[in-house]
Amino acid sequence: MSVRYAILGLLAQQPEHGYALHARLQALVGGAENWDLKPAQVYNTLARLAEAGLVCEEAVEKGGGPEKHVFAITPAGQAELLAWLQSEEVQPTLHDDIFLKCMLALSIDEGLARRILQTQRAALYRELHRVTTQRAEADPTRELGVILLHDKAIMHLEADLRWLDMLEARLDEVRRQPLPEPPMRRRGRPPKSFPYIPDRIPKERAP
Amino acid sequence: MKIVQTENLTRIYGSGETAVIALDHVNLSVNEGEFLAVMGPSGCGKSTLLHLIGGLDRPTEGRVLLAGQDLTQLDDDTLTLLRRRKIGFVFQFFNLIPVLTALENVALPLLLDGVPAKEARQRAVEWLERMGLGERLHHRPDQLSAGQQQRVAIARAMVTEPALILADEPTGNLDTRAGDDIANLLRQTVNQWGRTVLMVTHDPRIAAYADRIVFLKDGRIVDETLLTGNGDQQEAQALHERMETLR
Repeated sequence: MSVRYAILGLLAQQPEHGYALHARLQALVGGAENWDLKPAQVYNTLARLAEAGLVCEEAVEKGGGPEKHVFAITPAGQAELLAWLQSEEVQPTLHDDIFLKCMLALSIDEGLARRILQTQRAALYRELHRVTTQRAEADPTRELGVILLHDKAIMHLEADLRWLDMLEARLDEVRRQPLPEPPMRRRGRPPKSFPYIPDRIPKERAP
Repeated sequence: MKIVQTENLTRIYGSGETAVIALDHVNLSVNEGEFLAVMGPSGCGKSTLLHLIGGLDRPTEGRVLLAGQDLTQLDDDTLTLLRRRKIGFVFQFFNLIPVLTALENVALPLLLDGVPAKEARQRAVEWLERMGLGERLHHRPDQLSAGQQQRVAIARAMVTEPALILADEPTGNLDTRAGDDIANLLRQTVNQWGRTVLMVTHDPRIAAYADRIVFLKDGRIVDETLLTGNGDQQEAQALHERMETLR
């Protein structure tokens, strides 16, 4: 869970209390409309990190309001953070729900598959519009990081839209092929004697 | 209020067996203050549609209403006048005059329309400044980057204060960054300067700047998507009904 490491990363800069940590984290991921982080999630994660000895409570600030517990990163936390930063990050590229919907819809009705593609296209365009508008509002002299994050989203959405067009153009061809089926596998022990009798005989050919 | 309305707009090139139907009974309306993108594969009729709406070409059948006025009923001279005053064009290859400076290019449509030189110059400077080209007034097109040339072209389109801007693949000759820049400016002409923009593009990234996308295929509208979530319910419902009839 990257929230855990993001907290470690922010605490590596300076000790912080939960409330401020939540606010900084929320800003780092580009605002609540991109990734809504609940304060409770930050507090709970902080508690677990403290239990694991990756952060420690450094001080308690007493002001007019409630007490603020200030946390700092421990050497073990720093090691854990570095290990995470250097670990590889490849998002799954062949998991695709639109593909799944389209393939399953095709076996029901081609018209349905086409409508699904139209619905998805509209949704992707609306998201692209939203991200593009947000990106245009960001200040390039202060928020270049956020802009680059939006560029990533825009590139992915563009690719998805192009792929939808490709899928739609070749829907007829795909439809003519059967849905992928699992390979037949023999079950149980291998046969002892010859001649070998397959244990799964297609029903229509069974005596 | 509808600024553009096409009724059964049809354009057939050639005749007999070699006839090509570029546009096939297209009914499209564009609201005032809307940014509309028309998308589709090459040869789907996007540019033909734009040319007919802009009065650069005449339909085989059907009509184009621009602010209620039927373009197909106008003679060539009246059409030319209307085009000059009511419509601004932005093209893929900028179409600037190479021997003129940015300022002269932008002032040209005003001078052609009989605006006094001093006033024309002043208005041209204003629009070039709005396009961020205040420092480039006396540069010729070949002394400007592609993105800057397209900004000059937008200034030239805007200088006559037209109600409608027609843009034909305005980012087609630009890199991604300059393309975003130009799309942003077109967005601004709608948001800030209250114009209507009809843009033809094949680039999803650029189309996403619009309020609505219409998809053309083989000369027909095959799909339509409203991108701005805060569009009013009535419009969303009307769109939904149009889509149902398409399906």
